[in-house]
Amino acid sequence: MDFYLGLMQIIGVHTLLGLSAYCVLLTGQVSLAQAGFFAIGAYVAGMLTVLAQWPLVPALGVSAVVAGAMACAVGFPALRVKGLMLVVATIAFGEAVRLFFFNFTYQVQAGNLKLGPHGAEGFRQIRYFPENGWTTLDVMLFIWTVVALVMAGVWWLDRSRAGAVLRAVGEDELAAQSTGINITAVKVSAMTIGGVIAGIGGGIFAHYTTHIEHVQFGVVLATFAIAYPILGGLSNVLGTLLAVIFIQGFLIEGLRFMGDWRNLLFGGLIVLAMNVRPRGLLDAGAMLALKRLVVPSKDRNGA
Amino acid sequence: MDALDLIDAVQSVADGVLFGATYALLGIGFTLVFGVMHKINLSYAAASIGAAYASLLIVAGIKAPAILVFLAAAAAGGIIGGLIYLVGFKFIPLANPLATLMSTVGLLLLIDEIIVHTTAGVPLNYPALFSDVIVPVGPFNLRGDLMFVFALSCACMVVLLLLLYRTRLGLATRAVSQQPTASELCGISITRVNVLTFVITGVVGGIAGAMTGAAIGMLSPLLSLPLTVKGLIVTVIGGLGSIPGAIIAGLVVGGLENVFQFFRGVSERDLYIMMLLFAFLIFRPGGVFAMPVGRD
Repeated sequence: MDFYLGLMQIIGVHTLLGLSAYCVLLTGQVSLAQAGFFAIGAYVAGMLTVLAQWPLVPALGVSAVVAGAMACAVGFPALRVKGLMLVVATIAFGEAVRLFFFNFTYQVQAGNLKLGPHGAEGFRQIRYFPENGWTTLDVMLFIWTVVALVMAGVWWLDRSRAGAVLRAVGEDELAAQSTGINITAVKVSAMTIGGVIAGIGGGIFAHYTTHIEHVQFGVVLATFAIAYPILGGLSNVLGTLLAVIFIQGFLIEGLRFMGDWRNLLFGGLIVLAMNVRPRGLLDAGAMLALKRLVVPSKDRNGA
Repeated sequence: MDALDLIDAVQSVADGVLFGATYALLGIGFTLVFGVMHKINLSYAAASIGAAYASLLIVAGIKAPAILVFLAAAAAGGIIGGLIYLVGFKFIPLANPLATLMSTVGLLLLIDEIIVHTTAGVPLNYPALFSDVIVPVGPFNLRGDLMFVFALSCACMVVLLLLLYRTRLGLATRAVSQQPTASELCGISITRVNVLTFVITGVVGGIAGAMTGAAIGMLSPLLSLPLTVKGLIVTVIGGLGSIPGAIIAGLVVGGLENVFQFFRGVSERDLYIMMLLFAFLIFRPGGVFAMPVGRD
């Protein structure tokens, strides 16, 4: 049972990561910096609960603010460039963050233990959950409460006027600009929202793994972050969730019985999925079909 | 800093510049595909390493000289390049840039895993030419194998430039990269140009992979991600679509890498490269050889 609860935790945290990339992708920008914001969130939240003895929720709040501020600061220069340039600029930023933590050591003596991040060895002993007697179920419920809140927030954002503005910039920048939308402001806001969500996700990630190190936040994680929304489709936040379940639940855990062959299938299935459904698993057409299934009568009246 | 340190520093820069030739080749590959299709092929560096591995497989039976291994790598690279086009680009609508980005990511993971699966993740030795030759130049020593890597990469670049600027195929390629619709109206088959671009960049990538293996002395699946990042960096610093830019940027990045490594140690080396790149993108987003900005 604990295995499935653990899997649910992983899916929850990766959904947050995917949602952070979803916000940025709505404006048509491919950002591989999300893993960097995730890392900042993880380290900030971990240091606050371990070194400053803060409770978890305020620590997550601070990590969200710090990661969001960082995203905003990076967004201004980075979003001047587009396409491949932005991909490379954000890879550079993400790698710079990772390498910063690779060289970052700040430890304090606590009893006979040294606590805090220690360069290449990483940050051990983030023991907030076990120290406060949280069971796996508690942690899972906490993570999914946060995921549900964030998801509802992004859903609402998506349906509101702000979401329409984001999508307008994503569809056609020139057209959006000529209707009087400030493109830079929109993109930087999207980046900041993405940073905040990644910061929360990173903070939770640090606490359930209890040990973070720089290699976990590399290009691979950044690629996964954009893979979820792209694979799931950008029409809806549920697509991201579906893609996370598909990748983490099915491709990574579900295919474990295949042993070595699982990793081979992993890449192959992503390629296949993109060939079969280039606009994502849950694209606009699929959503429409789902709606028809749920409310068939209304649809018939409309048609 | 005394004289001995200075000599060491210059020596390491020279080694870095010689090795940078492989980065330049990778940068050219990224740039060519981007120029023709306006798409990023993220699986390119992984395919290059894959081609180098494939060359080892081809010559595993017979005891082949190193030069034959390199040729095999080039051929394998061409085949893999064609396959990548077929699997990752052919059937995906080009109007959707995210889909091809994702499919090449999938291919990157797939190629990596095929390598890990067939070799059980163990690094393999790769042959090199002139590895026992050391040319003394004043107080410095130039390694023979690195010199060969540099020379072969330069020859490869010259052939590529001739191909692009002196043949009909090159003319067609440049036409498609400038105006796809107009070139199609002139009777150029875009699909054919795309396939050939992938095969040609694949051959270049195969050579780059073989040269990387020859310079390091071994091949490991762990090489593909750092090489992807370095190749993208070179492409961007050199300016998108600019081949001379990619060549110079490759050599510069190779040299700078060793400068930072010499002064700040290997763990901080890439940190400075990344920060440099980020600053570069902000102040000069078009690359060193940026065209004057006009309307598109």
